[in-house]
Amino acid sequence: MAEIKLEHVKKAFGKVQALSDITLDVKDKEFFVLFGPAGAGKTTILNTIAGITMPDEGTVKFDGKVMNLIDPAHRNVAMVFENYALYPQMTVYDNMASALRSKLYKTSEEEIKERIAWAAKVMKMENLLERLPSQLSNGQKQRVAMGRALVRTPNVFLMDEPLAHLDAKLRNSMRTELKEMQANLGSTCIYVTHDFMEAMALGDRIAIINEGNIVQIGTGDEIYYMPCNEFTASLMGDPQINIFKARIIEEAGGYSILFAVGEDAVNLPLPKDAGIYKAIKENGLEYVDLGIRPQNVKYAFEPTEGYFKASVYSYESIGNKSVIVAECGDYQLRMIAPNGLNVAIDSDVYIRFELDRSILFDENTKKYIVRYDEENFKALANNSEGK
Amino acid sequence: MKTGKQRTLYVLKNLLLLIYAVFALFPLIWMILISFKSDTEVFTTTFLFHPTLANYREVLIRSDYGRYIRDSVVVSGGAVLVSIIVGVPAAYALARYNFPRKEDLAFQILSYKFAPEILVVLPLFMIYQKIGLYDSYLGLIWVYQLISLPLLIWVVRGYFEDISVEIEYAAQVDGYSWYQIFFKMLVPLIKPGLVSSALLAFIFAWNSFTFPLILSSNKVYPVTVAIMKYLGTDSAHYGQLAVASTVSALPAMIFALCIQKHLVRGLSFGAVKG
Amino acid sequence: MAGLTLNHLYKRYDNSGKKKKTKNDFAVKDLNLVCEQGEFVALLGPSGCGKTTTLRMIAGLEEITDGEIYIGERLVNKLHPKDRNIGLAFEDYAMYPPLNVYENVAFNLRAKGVDKNEIDKKVREIAPLMQINDILDKMPVKLSGGQKQRVNIARAIIREPELLLMDEPLSHLDGKARQAMRTEIKRLINKIKCTTVYVTHDQLEAMSLADKIAIINFGVLQQFGTPTEVYDDPANEFVASFIGEPPMNILETTIISKEGTFFFTFENSNLQIAVPKRYYSVVSDGFKCKMGVRPMDVLIGGPDSKGTPEEIATFENLGDERRIGIHVGDVLMMLITEDEKRYKRGDIIKLEVREEKTHLFDIETGDRIREKTE
Repeated sequence: MAEIKLEHVKKAFGKVQALSDITLDVKDKEFFVLFGPAGAGKTTILNTIAGITMPDEGTVKFDGKVMNLIDPAHRNVAMVFENYALYPQMTVYDNMASALRSKLYKTSEEEIKERIAWAAKVMKMENLLERLPSQLSNGQKQRVAMGRALVRTPNVFLMDEPLAHLDAKLRNSMRTELKEMQANLGSTCIYVTHDFMEAMALGDRIAIINEGNIVQIGTGDEIYYMPCNEFTASLMGDPQINIFKARIIEEAGGYSILFAVGEDAVNLPLPKDAGIYKAIKENGLEYVDLGIRPQNVKYAFEPTEGYFKASVYSYESIGNKSVIVAECGDYQLRMIAPNGLNVAIDSDVYIRFELDRSILFDENTKKYIVRYDEENFKALANNSEGK
Repeated sequence: MKTGKQRTLYVLKNLLLLIYAVFALFPLIWMILISFKSDTEVFTTTFLFHPTLANYREVLIRSDYGRYIRDSVVVSGGAVLVSIIVGVPAAYALARYNFPRKEDLAFQILSYKFAPEILVVLPLFMIYQKIGLYDSYLGLIWVYQLISLPLLIWVVRGYFEDISVEIEYAAQVDGYSWYQIFFKMLVPLIKPGLVSSALLAFIFAWNSFTFPLILSSNKVYPVTVAIMKYLGTDSAHYGQLAVASTVSALPAMIFALCIQKHLVRGLSFGAVKG
Repeated sequence: MAGLTLNHLYKRYDNSGKKKKTKNDFAVKDLNLVCEQGEFVALLGPSGCGKTTTLRMIAGLEEITDGEIYIGERLVNKLHPKDRNIGLAFEDYAMYPPLNVYENVAFNLRAKGVDKNEIDKKVREIAPLMQINDILDKMPVKLSGGQKQRVNIARAIIREPELLLMDEPLSHLDGKARQAMRTEIKRLINKIKCTTVYVTHDQLEAMSLADKIAIINFGVLQQFGTPTEVYDDPANEFVASFIGEPPMNILETTIISKEGTFFFTFENSNLQIAVPKRYYSVVSDGFKCKMGVRPMDVLIGGPDSKGTPEEIATFENLGDERRIGIHVGDVLMMLITEDEKRYKRGDIIKLEVREEKTHLFDIETGDRIREKTE
């Protein structure tokens, strides 16, 4: 197992700058997640660590040793590819044995047999060992690809969206299994995904990547509760966070916000919080972007004190709960509701924000300024790092 | 359960097919028959005759026939071998790498098959004379590349393109060197395409007539050209001609029968995506 | 007046050898369904369960082995698809490549010989509804997946059919595009109020869009009900585990009686869960059955809870919620909570279940065991 460092890595493919300036530090035995939308450069980073791609600039270090010029075979990494890359002409057993049979990692046939038996048990695929890849389902191929990596003792495990092509049910159950395995393995692992649930569930730390740049690195809680900008806030959480423009007005004893709903403006008091009030005063904040997660938006179907009016755009189930999307002036606001409600489209709905859970972003730079209860969440994030 | 109407249709269909088969194969059958007839009987009899092995004795044992077969084998086999050694890496390069004017190059290689041999053979004759390749094994092997190389590259490229590049990455990460990956992993996967296109190329090379006719004379004498020898100056020994032709057609027929199953699969599999 | 009625519908596999055999050789077996006028009905089930076959029979693209299909009041068994007055929006878009969007949508009206001005009026009416106004002159090859789907649906509804049939129209779209199209379809159907039958294998899609869901497995109808009904009141184990993400925890259990109270016990586990009082009339000491409870209905008990202490095997923090896995014998039981507390592997928690959300299933047949109501 090893500590992996990337320092100022740049890579271009033709005219496209895939990686702009990547600096990462993955600790030994850490489960590190690279998370971002498609095309962000996550696979390129993985390929650079594996040695499949050579960076234009910057260094790749394993335990302090520069690996730039060392070919993949000699880096001792185990990789799980997005479309599995199983050798089609070999059985599952031979696929898993292939690395151990190469000249570099030569292992005795008995030891190979032992290790494969162990990996097959962990991946629950003992009965598949004699099959050919063409005889396997997607879920089974994924297990073989992981099994092929597990039998080795590499410096680092590199996994490129291994769960991407599985259906939702299988993805969820495999994710939970992976979580259990990860605890047992105790190995350095770098995992690429575009699914935020995988990122949060599996990662000790997560690096958010967009368009070849690192946007933020932190624990799941840090990124979820204190996202460094609006882009990151929108990536984490399903349904997506609500962000809208608000104007802060000073009032007797505190502040309130004004935000536009069509022609009118709604005035909501900002609850008292030392951190928030300090930030407003020190930065002279007037126009901000307010972010509030769907769980913190409350609704009612009858006019209620403190609730403002909007109209139902849609009501959809997302599994164990449902989402109401309400149209409110130029905005669409998302909120959580239980399954099985009788909600008519285009009917009236009344909304209240739990502003004491909101996040403030800079209106121009879109960067994070402050959030409610920041102290407590910082403490929570630091504690969860010890998990 | 076939109805009366379906049964007559069935019989009719097969009858028509039989008639066509006889029509198509008749020249071949006639040729084989002639090879067993003596010169006198060639024109006078059809199916009933006194079979004789004299022609076979004359051609296979008394003449230089063995030498002609040998020359064909050397030239055709050599051509296919060179095509494989050059073509497989070329196909890999076309499949995997991106370089300027790649598709232009690929098209150019394919275009070698567009021109009929007779079009190019006269300029080649003059060039070969000048550079001393006239009437040599090397010369014919080289010019046969126009026949075998495009076919091989085209088919094998398709096969390479069907292998996802991640398999090569996986093998690299597993600790294999480039040579090991190429021979252990990739070659087995392109084998069907390679074998079927190589055999087809061999058949085409074997049957080539124009090139050896013009570009070689006494030293290198493939069997296609040699058959003309049995025409004779004053009369044609049809019997011997028939033997020479029949025996020369044998390798192609045998190969084709052996690989007929793989021929279609091997040639089309790699070509179509998805 | 019902929009669509299926009576004792059967479809036998024809032995052309193209489909792999499943349990029985009926693709659809004794299917009875009534869809009200204007209702959105989803045919939901795993691949190969017969839902597409059923849809194709309704459309007239497949022959019926036995049974009757009524669209409105008309018996349509023998009618050609074009005479059934239906609109089809199928999985493969099948747009006519040389025609632009306008022409594609207008196509079957032109084929029917409708007046040119009438056609124009209808197309311009439909276009804003499906949000395709700005792509009317584009060619199919330049459209995105979502746009193609909208044109597909526009084409289907322009004829004002009595019945709209859709076969997995969103399967080619990914994540966000799919969600967005789902919302659009829902709003559209709400506007045009056409009886719709929608085939999907994605239970989320069915739960979001449908007024009623028909769940099919191996050609047999498992349950036909509203999303709430199939979610809260599943007819059998199959429906219970198919609907809901993450899936319902279903565990084999033996019931024991301790001092007059019944408990669920599980093999290779110390876990004991109190049996809800309403099932007392149907259980007994030593009774074997399957217990089903959804992850969100499994609760973490407080300090004075009577639940058994169990060790946490997996803890996933997903930001919006937390998911905890606990080994019960060989099975991993999942629970979901919005509690902020962060746990670790190995922590001990006490488990409780929401009584009214716990279900019992017969251990042999998988059918739901309901409490006896006097």
